[in-house]
Amino acid sequence: MTTDSLVMPKPATGVIRIGADGRPWIEGFRCGDCGAAFTEQTMACRRCASRNAPEAFRAVDTGKLYSWSVVHRSYPGVAVPFVSAIVDLEDGLTLKGTLRGVDADAVRQGMPVALVFDDAGGARDKDGVPYVGFHFIPRGDA
Amino acid sequence: MSDVYIVGADMIAFGRYPDRTYYQLGAEASLKALDDAGLSIKDIGAVYASSCFNAQSMLGQKVLKEIGQTGVPCINVSNACASGATAVREAFIGIKSGIYDAVLVVGSEKNPRGMLGGAPHDGPPPEGLFGSESMPAVFAEAGMVHAAAYGTTIEQFAKVAVKNHQHATMNPKAAYRKETPLDEVLASEMIAWPLTKLMCSANVDGAAALVLVSEKKARELGMSRAVRIRASMLTSDPYEPRNPVMFDANSVTRLAAAKAYEMAGLGPQDLDVVELHDCFATAEILHYENLGLCGEGEAGRLIDSGDTALGGRIPVNVSGGLLSKGHPIGATGVANIVEIVEHLRGEAGARQVSGAKIGLSHVLGFGAAAGVHILEKA
Ligand SMILES: [Zn+2]
Repeated sequence: MTTDSLVMPKPATGVIRIGADGRPWIEGFRCGDCGAAFTEQTMACRRCASRNAPEAFRAVDTGKLYSWSVVHRSYPGVAVPFVSAIVDLEDGLTLKGTLRGVDADAVRQGMPVALVFDDAGGARDKDGVPYVGFHFIPRGDA
Repeated sequence: MSDVYIVGADMIAFGRYPDRTYYQLGAEASLKALDDAGLSIKDIGAVYASSCFNAQSMLGQKVLKEIGQTGVPCINVSNACASGATAVREAFIGIKSGIYDAVLVVGSEKNPRGMLGGAPHDGPPPEGLFGSESMPAVFAEAGMVHAAAYGTTIEQFAKVAVKNHQHATMNPKAAYRKETPLDEVLASEMIAWPLTKLMCSANVDGAAALVLVSEKKARELGMSRAVRIRASMLTSDPYEPRNPVMFDANSVTRLAAAKAYEMAGLGPQDLDVVELHDCFATAEILHYENLGLCGEGEAGRLIDSGDTALGGRIPVNVSGGLLSKGHPIGATGVANIVEIVEHLRGEAGARQVSGAKIGLSHVLGFGAAAGVHILEKA
């Protein structure tokens, strides 16, 4: 990951949290009553409607590919092709991300993947502050 | 409570209308449906108007400014691709409640050009950075779950496009009326694996309208061409563990279908004709199972068998579907019902499903909403 040493980076998407030391992680929210996991904080549980608000947890960075598409045409200015992936992390959270470092023909449901934090393609906000993003890569074995 | 009948149903030919407004298109469809019913706007007690992109502009009132300002309530609805079905259901409730004897439903849309989707975000644009938010990718991903579970092939997905494009050649109101053999579908530009361009719905403008009446009014007008609404159902997406990261096209449709079959006292085996939401070829495969047209995992074999083509056991999207008739978002749900009505009346011309007595229409709105209507020749 490349970030400026003096400027704290910003999350490039809502599920990323960044510690005081600059190290990022994925935050999920889990219902204490039914165990359902979510990518955002809600007022009550989406699954069981418990008013005990789901509690934050630090997600693991390994999971399995649930579905994907090889995107050949996208919005103007977006580099193609890329693999759009739906990944089930091992602790129950599902994320959407780009899967890199894999031959498109070799992509299979259930393939083990790892989450890697990155510099969000080098993006900067209007003040020049860098972002932290993530993508997925294949794991050698499960 | 009174049964609800459709006595007027019509639409404009779907296509591009660069020189006309969405409310002019809606007004034209409205006049056609009123003429079909033998009614005037002065007979109408309320207007239910649907559009995905223009409902907030007082679409119903704008239509009335074109065809007669009678002062009746206008209910303007937006519910993504289920906007039209939502308007029909609200109109159904209006008649059921006994408040109105006759109402007009109009769905009208001028779609934005280019690939639809992509909401504004904080931070860098997510497209390509965090997978794809484009609709082709979203429905490709939904299809790949089916492929992984049941071995569904790209050829099976592509056959949906072959079938629906072939059907459209018989529909003078379809935007695209050109046969596309399997090799042509597979060879067209790859948009999002496994979806090629010819497996994606046609982005066009359009409008469709219906006149709904009470049983008393239907008897007054004569029942010879009346179609009874056996079920009108609308659902939102129930909890699914991967939602909203992964759009769930299935559970919201299954819920709507189950409730609609229960309301109608019918099952999928009773259907003669189906118009379902083939926004992408993968979606039609999923909805075969979601609507109970075949068993779990059998959708690939169902398209292979030809049973869902005109002349088959249960013809699906004989209009050409969203793939070739076109998908003007807020008009789609109304137009799907217009198609079913034409078949039940025996007025569908070259594409008539012979002897059709009961038909189902389905739409799916991203976000999510599903509308299912079951109609029967009165
Ligand atoms: Zn819960």
